Amino acid sequence: MTFKFGLVHAPLTPFANGRIDYATYGKLLDFHIAQGAEALALPMHAGESVSLTAVERQELFAFAIRHVAGRVPVIAHVSEAGTAIAASLAAHAKTAGAAALIASVPYYWTPPQHMLVEHFTAIGTAGGLPFFILNTPTEMAGVEFASKSVVELVGKLPNFAGLIDTSLDWQYMIEVVTVARAEKPDFQFVSGTEYMISASAIGATGLLSPLASLAPVLVRKLYGACRAENYTVARPLQEDAAILFRLMRDAGVPGLKAGAAAQGRDCGDPRPPLMTWRDGSGLQASMAQARSLAAEPRGWA
Amino acid sequence: MTLVLKGVMQSPVTPLKPDFSPDYDTFERLVDFHVRTGATAISWPHHKAESHNLTIAERKALAEVAIKAVAKRVPISIHVSALALEDTFDLARHAQANGADAIIAITPYFWKYPPEAIYDYFVKLGTSFDLPLIAYNSPSYLDGIEFTGELTARLIQRLPNFIGMKEASFNSEKYFEILRAALPLRANFAMIAGVEYLLPSISLGGAGSYSSAGAICPNLCVELYEACASGQWDRARAAQYKLSQLWLLFRDQYPSSLKGGCVIMGRPVGPTRPPLPTASPERIKFIERRLGELGILDTEPHGW
Repeated sequence: MTFKFGLVHAPLTPFANGRIDYATYGKLLDFHIAQGAEALALPMHAGESVSLTAVERQELFAFAIRHVAGRVPVIAHVSEAGTAIAASLAAHAKTAGAAALIASVPYYWTPPQHMLVEHFTAIGTAGGLPFFILNTPTEMAGVEFASKSVVELVGKLPNFAGLIDTSLDWQYMIEVVTVARAEKPDFQFVSGTEYMISASAIGATGLLSPLASLAPVLVRKLYGACRAENYTVARPLQEDAAILFRLMRDAGVPGLKAGAAAQGRDCGDPRPPLMTWRDGSGLQASMAQARSLAAEPRGWA
Repeated sequence: MTLVLKGVMQSPVTPLKPDFSPDYDTFERLVDFHVRTGATAISWPHHKAESHNLTIAERKALAEVAIKAVAKRVPISIHVSALALEDTFDLARHAQANGADAIIAITPYFWKYPPEAIYDYFVKLGTSFDLPLIAYNSPSYLDGIEFTGELTARLIQRLPNFIGMKEASFNSEKYFEILRAALPLRANFAMIAGVEYLLPSISLGGAGSYSSAGAICPNLCVELYEACASGQWDRARAAQYKLSQLWLLFRDQYPSSLKGGCVIMGRPVGPTRPPLPTASPERIKFIERRLGELGILDTEPHGW
């Protein structure tokens, strides 16, 4: 139960002819490990988790465990709409060899806080692994896992290890860190976006990075400077990360896939309803505003 | 036009007598208290000073008291935002005529309008007066009306006297977008966080904040800024966590609870004008207990 989150990459999921392209996925996982991922989390939203069937998610996860073969820990993302379905994914991930679990609030429903606590309790209990909650209100119709619920769940679920935040909301972030650590001093706070400086100053010790698909060197340097609390060094890196973040927030997974292809790592088209990104050269020109991108690795090296 | 803002700046509340009329003597004492306890600048009347609940005549009279009480020891800016922009310009004229060092203004209230209207408004405000101008961004209170990095950059290029922004989104992305657009164009442009959110803003390159709790715990405010400015992040975190707990305490019924807290600290500033409630005796007892738990009663000055 001492899993430390650290710098975690969130890989894409490659498709070919509408099916998971495992040959490419293997190369992609190797790439992320070679680029300094301390762990992998999959399939996150960047890995199109929502568009995979339950069977595919289990197969994909089992493949990743076999392929990674202990080189780094692999974290399973088990978010689902139904509590029992999510709990079953969590139990499967544990059996398959996951090092930890991540889940967001349920899709579509916008349950009240006490039902969120029940939902997470069921998933965390079924999984029995270090359990991280992904707080991502902008993707979840504004539903936030409130700080008082964080405290309640800390009391109920011994393997509730930490919270991953994408809200970027200083009031929320500081409140969660303050109240959760008062109950559980080793409660981990993780930035779910590459806005790492503020999160780190507030007390984040980990980063879950979708942009590592495009700019793993930038992400590693930014993470390193922030963990060393050298924010003067981190600031120009943060500027490039901000450029890519805003670009990909608007472009979504189609943009991430087009960007990765432009960097020489073609992972195929996203699955419908997401559409293939058409303006690859326009996207590349926008990405190039982040000047450090030129120094990023191309291809699978 | 060489005004450079940084550090923990205080925006005093407005003391009222039991009959809700302005308490000029206590106001003078409060402004002086802030200057003596480390305020690097004074700005009045922010929303916590019940700006909306004061008449324009009251705002002018109190502004004159504040400017006199500061007595040039630190810069003082006057918040000129009013519902009607005619009043805003009137307040700005008054501020300039009476010796204020700067004016500060939020995006206009209530109406929905495109970014171009924000640009036009601030250009008019900035070119109508010689005083340095501070803009105030508060998207959550104004239903999404906000500054972007691009709009800020255009205004900096247009207005030599546009020297800073109070950025109260409390959001890393919004704050940093404005900062990274502004600083390359004007190196001394002051990015000022709302409340005491100094830890996440100074680390990003911010200049300081307008304080919420300075009338309660000036020592803690100064401690947080100094820890951030000198890169002592463990020290900064301890102070920030504590100040954020205070903000949660005061955010509820702001500034009623803040005024209630002032009673506990021996610096009573009277009631709060409706529609805001005045802190009840029970609420004040609760605040006292929290201030005790947070160690404020032992570490901060009592009385004036």
